[in-house]
Amino acid sequence: MSNILRLIWFDLKPELKPPVWIIMEWSVFLVQVGVYGAMISQLVTGIGNYSQFFAVGLVIMITFDLGSHIGRHFVEHAHEGRLPYLLSLPISRSKLFLTIALQGGTELALMLAVPLTVTLLIIGNLTWVSVVACVLALFLLGFGVAGLMLALSFIAFKSSDLYTAIVTGLSTIIIRFSTVLYPFIFLPPQYATAAAFSPLTYGSDLIRFFLGFDPSILLNPYYAVSVVAALAVSTLGLGLFLVQRLVEGVKSA
Amino acid sequence: MYAVETKDLTKRYGKTWALKNLDFTIDENEIMVLLGPNGSGKTTLLLILATVLKPTSGQAEVMGLDVSTQSTRVRQILGIAFQEARGFWRHKPADILRFHASVCGVPRAKRDTLIENLLRDLELWDARNKLFMHLSGGQTKRLEVAKVFVHRPKFAILDEPSSQVDLRGKRKIWAQIHKLQEEGSTILVATNEVREAEYLADRVTVLDKGKSVVCDTVRQLKDSITGGDIVELEIDSPEPQILKRALGQIDGTVKITNSSSNRFKAYVSMAESWVPKMTDTCYRSKARILSIRVTEPSLDDVFLHFTGRALRETSNE
Repeated sequence: MSNILRLIWFDLKPELKPPVWIIMEWSVFLVQVGVYGAMISQLVTGIGNYSQFFAVGLVIMITFDLGSHIGRHFVEHAHEGRLPYLLSLPISRSKLFLTIALQGGTELALMLAVPLTVTLLIIGNLTWVSVVACVLALFLLGFGVAGLMLALSFIAFKSSDLYTAIVTGLSTIIIRFSTVLYPFIFLPPQYATAAAFSPLTYGSDLIRFFLGFDPSILLNPYYAVSVVAALAVSTLGLGLFLVQRLVEGVKSA
Repeated sequence: MYAVETKDLTKRYGKTWALKNLDFTIDENEIMVLLGPNGSGKTTLLLILATVLKPTSGQAEVMGLDVSTQSTRVRQILGIAFQEARGFWRHKPADILRFHASVCGVPRAKRDTLIENLLRDLELWDARNKLFMHLSGGQTKRLEVAKVFVHRPKFAILDEPSSQVDLRGKRKIWAQIHKLQEEGSTILVATNEVREAEYLADRVTVLDKGKSVVCDTVRQLKDSITGGDIVELEIDSPEPQILKRALGQIDGTVKITNSSSNRFKAYVSMAESWVPKMTDTCYRSKARILSIRVTEPSLDDVFLHFTGRALRETSNE
């Protein structure tokens, strides 16, 4: 366990000196919620308070972005020569995978600290149970997305251009065709069909359910929790399998 | 038991064979040098032994442990310095070594002293607090090999350990490698630098196109080239043609040429045993030796001899 923690801290330390990228992410969130969210909530009439709905959507988008970032990071490590080094250390492949996942979890926690706190404050009137359930659901979703991106990252060993194209396209589709920014019941039928395949639909509806949003505009929470858990377990399992069985350092000569 | 043994080891990248049915051994506490041009399979072999790459087929064992099925245990006894040091752009050399030492289980009490001594010895002390991305090519290379020296593994793998490093730095790295051997480590070095191979090797394996062409000590490899030693002679002889014939009859002589009546060039095998016989022949022929210059073949010549191509040419391909 100590080597896992060492590895996580070794990778994170330079990112926190100073934590520019985290502060930038927080700032973007605050501007989005404070300016865009406040304005758009006056235009949207179908939902009680759209700025709350929007703030949760932004939190989900940050979670998704970070999951994608972890997959991309893994590929960059391979091409920069860090992956062969990590693979040569006296750490088992499963622990190495756990390190990558935990590091992603730590980054997610850092990245979401302010956005989630602000969102919870905007929503207000919450119980500890709902906040803990929301945080757990976010991490589950984050692991699921990270696992998905890690599994996809193996494409990048063949072609990083193809990987970038797929991830960019997938991000666009997964976020837009989901309930991240608008409730499922308001979606036109053809969009709703596509949204039913987006993991973010289930993640965002589940988190909104825990945070006390009107259940009539959300998907069934049991269904949502099953999909999010299945996504996390299956993609992390696939990622672990690929790391253990297939991953090889990119040979430089 | 060999420290390292491969049997029928094969690695393919698509249609390219990086290693082809390689049988290869290293004895315990030996420095084995892999000599070959770029693309000969050296790095692939090192990465398979380090469990970074997986073999396509065949078997490889390190200290009796299979690299495919016991990879975590293999990694616990080996350390590798990669050909290119990359990946930790925003870290400092001292931090990189401290992290590496801690992950590899170097006791905390020894760690700082060991790292300081190494940084000083490899002339990285002044750069210890620079970011990795600001180091020169030579400094990053020295830092890469320093990882192995701080770890002091039972089996050390070094891929072109002194490339990009100046002569002074090279000697320091070579001295550290010898020190590691004195402490009991088995060492595998891949290089395409002839001088490095000659300086370090207990034995040399010549690799070409993924196959082991020949493996022996430097001395034996050089001696295995028939007529590889060149002895240039200046002899004052009353009858040079008779002397030339007599020299040609000495055991080990392959060819004698003469550029002038008293200057001879003899292509011989094992000059060290040929020269005494030559002096004896000259004495009996009443000839006076004015000068002798012996040139032995380089490992480049050895490579040329066994592969039909020069090492330097193929390295530049």
